[in-house]
Amino acid sequence: MKSMEHSHSKYLSNFDNWAEQKRFVDFTDKDVEFLKKLHPFAVEYADTFVEKLYSHLMTFSETKRFLGDEKTLMRLKLAQKSYFIDLTSGEYGKEYFNSRIKVGIVHQRIGLSPRIYMSTYCYYMQLIIPHIYGNPAFDADTAKGIFSALYKIINLDQELAISAYIHATDEVISRQTEEILEMSTPVIQIWEGVVAAPIIGMLDSSRTQQFMERLLETIVTTNSPVALIDITGVPQIDTATAQHLIDTINAVKLLGSQVIITGVRPVIAQTLVHLGIDLSGIVTRPTMASGLKVALDKLSIKVIDSSKE
Amino acid sequence: MTNESGENPIQTEGDIVTCRKLIRNVTSAAGFGMTDVTRIVTAVSELARNVYVHSGSEGVMRWQILDKPGQIGIQLEFEDFGVGIPDINQAVEAGFTTAGSMGMGLSGVKRLMDSMTIKSDVDMGTTVSITKWGRAK
Ligand SMILES: Nc1ncnc2c1ncn2[C@@H]1O[C@H](COP(=O)(O)OP(=O)(O)OP(=O)(O)O)[C@@H](O)[C@H]1O
Ligand SMILES: [Mg+2]
Repeated sequence: MKSMEHSHSKYLSNFDNWAEQKRFVDFTDKDVEFLKKLHPFAVEYADTFVEKLYSHLMTFSETKRFLGDEKTLMRLKLAQKSYFIDLTSGEYGKEYFNSRIKVGIVHQRIGLSPRIYMSTYCYYMQLIIPHIYGNPAFDADTAKGIFSALYKIINLDQELAISAYIHATDEVISRQTEEILEMSTPVIQIWEGVVAAPIIGMLDSSRTQQFMERLLETIVTTNSPVALIDITGVPQIDTATAQHLIDTINAVKLLGSQVIITGVRPVIAQTLVHLGIDLSGIVTRPTMASGLKVALDKLSIKVIDSSKE
Repeated sequence: MTNESGENPIQTEGDIVTCRKLIRNVTSAAGFGMTDVTRIVTAVSELARNVYVHSGSEGVMRWQILDKPGQIGIQLEFEDFGVGIPDINQAVEAGFTTAGSMGMGLSGVKRLMDSMTIKSDVDMGTTVSITKWGRAK
């Protein structure tokens, strides 16, 4: 299976525009200085914070489920601690950026909702605020500056984690779409020498390539002289779809086999005529059953109704 | 429910699918019969794809439901700001293509719809307008 390109997600923040994102929230060198002032206190109280946060999280069944056994919990607490300390480290470069992106991706992967993630930040703030405003080391202006800087860095963190979260979800959807695409054009052997391919939905360019490959492959592996392509499930045929069908038919011909198009509804036949597309060189049948009959005739196979003998 | 209208961008191949789906829903809801719905949706598919494949720019599909006593209609406009069509008469000829495809799109749309008009300026863009009337249910 060919894999699609996912690297250019429209959601995932990249480091190139992170400087701009900082400018967006007006995060300046001054803020970095303010955060550094808080750093010694963050280091001092990190363990207490983490304990408080986790005992809070333990009171919710949804979060408790993710915290796991004693060992996992220890690991999570350690990660949380360094995450917390990094918040005020004064280094907000590439390493910081990547670690925040990772948080979003990991949370998406384990299925922890952004709801929990966002409210954890709120809880963080509740824990830190007394150490800013009630702290004798900071005068009123410094406290204000620290608070504002903290608010900005947390907003930046959230943006990164959420965009990474959405990006990870987006990737899952693309993967599933590709899988559905693959499933929606099955090619099956329905008789010795006859393969059938029911097409459901439009035959767009991306699908045609896959479909054609699978059809040709199955024809070769089953050594089938006849292929039925059933278009009962195709809502309409435009020139592009018709071209794809004709290309497919010609490719099958090159293998020495023949295509019968079945399930051609009157509406479709009419639009084809209007479009001026000439299918006169192609064997078509209104139903799959009548197509199969043609195929069996061609293979000189007779099916006998034994009840009428 | 008259004078309904809307638009949809044409930027990716996926947008062609969205345009088709949208117009299938709109025309069915407006009361067009199965045959007309299929014709209109096929025309939409052709023109949206032309924007996507030929124009080299982004485009938009605009639609509007029309009504006259005893009749329902739809008018659609496909506008892009791309390379334009140098010779419109030639482009509408069955079999003319610059893309190595069938070249049946525009001539087909003309037959599928009641009317089709094309305005185009080289390097400025193209607008194709089509209309289809049906009997109101
Ligand atoms: N929106 C557009 N912008 C620029 N050129 C266009 C546009 N639409 C059509 N054309 C030109 O008109 C030609 C004929 O269009 P038409 O839809 O009839 O055929 P096609 O798209 O080439 O093939 P087909 O539709 O059969 O797959 C195109 O090959 C292209 O050169
Ligand atoms: Mg075309």
